[in-house]
Amino acid sequence: MSFAGLSLAQLWPLFAAGGGAITVLYLLRMRRRQVVVPFAALWERVTRESESRRLWRRLRRLLSWLLQMLVLALVCLALGDPRPEVWLRDPISLAIVIDTSASMAGPAADEPDTTRLDLARRRAEQEILALGPADRAVVLEASEELGVVAPLSSDPASVVPRLQRLTPRFGEADLPRALALASHAVGERPGPRILVLTDGALDPGAVDALRACTEGPIPCEVARVGGPAENVAITAFAARRYPYARDQIEVLTEVRNLGDTPVKVVLEIEADDAAVGKRTLHLPPGESKREVLAQLDAARSRFVARLRHEDGSDAPFGLPHDDEAHAVVPPLSPLDVVLVTDGTNLFLEAALLVLDDHVRLTGISPQEAREGRRPELAEADVVFFDVGSDVLPSTLPDAHVVMFDPWRHQDQAAPCPIAKKADVERPFLTEQDRDHPVLDHVVLKDVNLARGTTFDVIPGDEILVRTLGDPIAVLREGEHALVAFGFDPRQSDLPMRTAFPMVVDNLVRYFEQREAGFVASVPLGAHRELALADLGLAPEGVTRVTVRGPGPATDGASGDGSAGSEFPVERGRFRLRALVPGFYTITAVDGPLAGSSVELAVNQASVHASDLHDALQALELPEAAVADAPPEPTPLPQGPLWTLVMLVVASLVALEWASYHRRVTV
Amino acid sequence: MGWADRLLARNEGTGGPAEAELFDEAFLARLELLQVIARRLFRGRQRAERKTRKVGSGLEFADHREYSPGDDIRYLDWTVWIRLHHALIRLFEEDEDLPIRIVIDVSDSMRTKDGAKLRYAMQVGAALAYVGLANLDRVGITCASGKHHGTLPAVRGKGRIFRVFEFLRSAPRGGPTDIRAMCTRVAAESRQPGLTVVLSDFYDLEGAFEGLNMLRFRKHEPVAVQVLDPLEADPTASGLRGDVRLVDVEGGSARDVTLSPRALKAYAEAHQRFCEHLEQSCRSRGIYLARAPIDVPFDDMVLRLFRQGGILR
Repeated sequence: MSFAGLSLAQLWPLFAAGGGAITVLYLLRMRRRQVVVPFAALWERVTRESESRRLWRRLRRLLSWLLQMLVLALVCLALGDPRPEVWLRDPISLAIVIDTSASMAGPAADEPDTTRLDLARRRAEQEILALGPADRAVVLEASEELGVVAPLSSDPASVVPRLQRLTPRFGEADLPRALALASHAVGERPGPRILVLTDGALDPGAVDALRACTEGPIPCEVARVGGPAENVAITAFAARRYPYARDQIEVLTEVRNLGDTPVKVVLEIEADDAAVGKRTLHLPPGESKREVLAQLDAARSRFVARLRHEDGSDAPFGLPHDDEAHAVVPPLSPLDVVLVTDGTNLFLEAALLVLDDHVRLTGISPQEAREGRRPELAEADVVFFDVGSDVLPSTLPDAHVVMFDPWRHQDQAAPCPIAKKADVERPFLTEQDRDHPVLDHVVLKDVNLARGTTFDVIPGDEILVRTLGDPIAVLREGEHALVAFGFDPRQSDLPMRTAFPMVVDNLVRYFEQREAGFVASVPLGAHRELALADLGLAPEGVTRVTVRGPGPATDGASGDGSAGSEFPVERGRFRLRALVPGFYTITAVDGPLAGSSVELAVNQASVHASDLHDALQALELPEAAVADAPPEPTPLPQGPLWTLVMLVVASLVALEWASYHRRVTV
Repeated sequence: MGWADRLLARNEGTGGPAEAELFDEAFLARLELLQVIARRLFRGRQRAERKTRKVGSGLEFADHREYSPGDDIRYLDWTVWIRLHHALIRLFEEDEDLPIRIVIDVSDSMRTKDGAKLRYAMQVGAALAYVGLANLDRVGITCASGKHHGTLPAVRGKGRIFRVFEFLRSAPRGGPTDIRAMCTRVAAESRQPGLTVVLSDFYDLEGAFEGLNMLRFRKHEPVAVQVLDPLEADPTASGLRGDVRLVDVEGGSARDVTLSPRALKAYAEAHQRFCEHLEQSCRSRGIYLARAPIDVPFDDMVLRLFRQGGILR
C-alpha cells in the first residue's frame, strides 16, 4: 500500500494534532443543563441503578473517544490517498491459455474429487482477481480446437463466470495455435505475459510450441496442474463382417495400460445390451492387449466395450471417456452389377448369378449400352462388358468396368483406356500375380486361348496376368477401377475351369471393398468431414441430414449440433464434431431415401489423449518460465480508495450520531 | 443565577399578580356550590348545624337511658315513671359545630412551575374553608413548611372568608417539605381535634405518612389531598432528554444523570409506586387520601373526590 497524496511523514503530525485536540475536548468536563425537580429523592432512587453501571459509562466514554480517533485516522488515511501496489505498477496484458484437452479431466494430485481442469480454473481465477485497474487479460481454451473463453478485459466480474463454464474437451490440446493467438493478442500491448495452465500431458508438437514460447520475446510461464498418470484405455474397438461369411462378425478390442504400474482390468463387451464377452486382462505398464471376439451373430448391430475393476467397481481408470468404446456393425448393401452381353456367354452370367446375396444383377444388350437407353448402366457400381464379336459403346460408364477382349475390332475406336500392344495367337498365360486379391485362390495355369491382345501399360497399372512377359490382364486404378482381359472367354476354355467363377467373384469383392470403406467409428472432439456413402447412406439427392447423438454436446459445422440438429450436406459430405462418446444416428432429411438412417459410433480411442504422463518433465523449462505461486487477489479492483474511506467515515459519523441519541455513546 | 434560582427568586415571598387572581369573582361564585360535612361529629363549643351523637341540650329526642344519681332531673321522663315506675332520663341530640383545620403545604416543592400546585392547593383549601364557614363551622388555616409556619386561628361565619383569602395571599412560602413537623405543630396548636385536611404533594419520603398518622393519634380526622402535577408524576411526555444536572428545588446536592426514555419511564413507575405506597399506608389507618391532579378544576375535584371520601354531602 502506498500513499499518493500526503506522505506518511505529513500524516503523522496531522493525526497527532487532531488526536490531541479530540482528547483534550474529551478531557474537558461537559457542562450539563440544570433541571430543577421537586422530588430529587425519588430521582436519586431511580438513578441509583445506573450508578452501578458507572464502569460501563466510563467505557462508553472511552468508546466514543476511540470512535472519534478512528474517524480522524480514516480522514488522515483518505488525505494520504492510499493505493495498493498493484495500482501503481505498470499495467500488464495477460493471456491465460488453459489446456482443456481430454487429460485435463483426469484426477488432480492430493485433491480427491477434483479434476486437473478444476485446478487450472482456480488458478486462472486467482490470476484474474489479482489484476489491477489498468491490467487486461484474455483467456484462451486449447483443446483440439481453439476457443476464446473471455476476450481482453479488465473486469473480473465478466471473466470469472466464463471460467466456470469451461469443461474438458477430447483429444489433444492444440497449443501451437493457442500460443500463437495468445502472442498475437497481447504481443503489442503493454506488459505482455502469457500463462499456460496445463497438466503437461501434451503431444510432441505442443511441447515444442511451449518450449518455443518460453524462449520467445513475450514472457511465457507454465503453471502445471498435474496429477497421477495412471490410466487404462480402450484404444481400439471395431466390428467387421467376415469377408466370406457376411452373416457373422468379429469384434476387435485393444486395451492399453498407460500408467506406470501393472493393472488387472475386466473387459466387458455387450451387443445390443446383451453381454457377449468378458475377459480379465493383466496389463504391465505401457503395454496393450488385443482381444478378438470371433464369429458373433451379425444380427447384432451395436457393440459396447467397457473396462471395469475386478471387484465390479465403476470407478474410472484415470480418464472416464476412454473406459468405454462403441462400434457399429457395417450394414449389408448389395452392389449394382450390369452385365453387357450378347447372351452367348452363359458362364459369366451364371458366375454372377451365384453372387445373388450381395449383387443385384442387370443384363442389357450391347446395342442398348451403345444407345444409352438403360438407366441402370449409369447407376451401376460394376459393369461387365462381354460383348463377344459385337461392338463396345463409344464411352465407358461411370463405374468400375471389366472388359473382355477390348481390342477385338481393329477399326473400332475402342473406349478402352489401356492401349493395345500386340495381337497374340494362342497365347499362354505364363505369369499371374498370385498375391492380388483379384486372383486370390485362382490358378490360370494351362488355360487355352485361341487368340488375344497384350496391353501397353503405363506406370501405376497393375499387371494381373502376363503371357510370356507381356501384360494380358491389367488393372488400372483411377476414380473407378478398370480391369481389362486381352482375350474373349468364348475363345478359351477358361469358363470351363473353376478359376473362372472365382475370378468373377474376386472381381466383384474387390470392387466392393474398393468402394469407400465403412466408417465404423470416429474420434471425439475434432471436426470430421464424413461422406454419407462411407456411413452406408446413399448420398444421391441428400442435402440435409439430422444427427441425433447420445447427449446434447454434438457440434456441427453449421450450428451447435445438439441432438437432433440438422447439418447441410454438400457433395454427399457433411461436417460433424462429436463431443460425447456413444452412438449417433444420421438420418437423411430429403432425397429419394429421405428418412433412411444409419448409425455411427464415436469413441475417444486416442493413445495420446489418454496418456496422462507429464511430458513437460523431460522438458527443462527455464526458471523464469515456471509460474510462481498464485498471486494474492487485489484488495480493490477499482479506485480511488479514499472515497471508500470517506464513505466509512460518513458511516461511522452516522453511527455515532444515531447511537448518541440512544445514549449508546456519550 | 440558574433557572431554579430565578424561579425561586420570582416566587419568594408573598403576594403578586398570581395570588391576586387566586380568589376572584368567578372563584367565589363556584364556592357557593360546595358543602362540607364531617364524617364524624365532634364536640363543639357552640351550636352549629351538625348533630352529634352525644346527648345534649338539643331539641330533638334521641333515646332514653337509666337514671343515675346526679342527672338533671329536668330530663327525667315522668310519663314513663308514672306508668312503669322506672326512672329514665330522656336524651336529645345536640347540634354542634365542626372544627376544621386546613393545612396547606407551602414548601418549595409545591412552588415549581410558577407555583401551580400551591395555587391549586390554596384554591381547594379556600373552597373547603368557605363551605365550612358557610355551615357555621369553625375553620382554621395553616400554611406551613419546614421553614415557615403561619396559622389563621379558627374563625366562624361566612363573612370571615375574606380574612381567609387575605391570610392565604399573605402567607409565607418556601422552605423544605416536612410533613411530620407540620402536622405535629398543627396537632399541638389544635385544642379541639377535628377534621384536618392536609393539602400537599407529600414529596417527603420519610415523614409524609408519619405526619398524617400523628394527626390521627391526636384524635384528628386527617384527610390527605395529594396535589399532583401530571408532568411531574410522569415526565416521559415532558420532552426532557439527555445529560442533565438534576437540582432539587428544596436544595441538596445536584446529581448528574442521563435522562433516557428508559430512565424517565423508571421515574414514572417509581412515582406511581410512591403514591400507591402512601395511599396504602393511609388506607390501612383509615385515613382518606385523595389525589388531586392540577389539570382538574378545583371545584370538580372537591365535589368528586371529597364526595367519594364521604366528606361532602
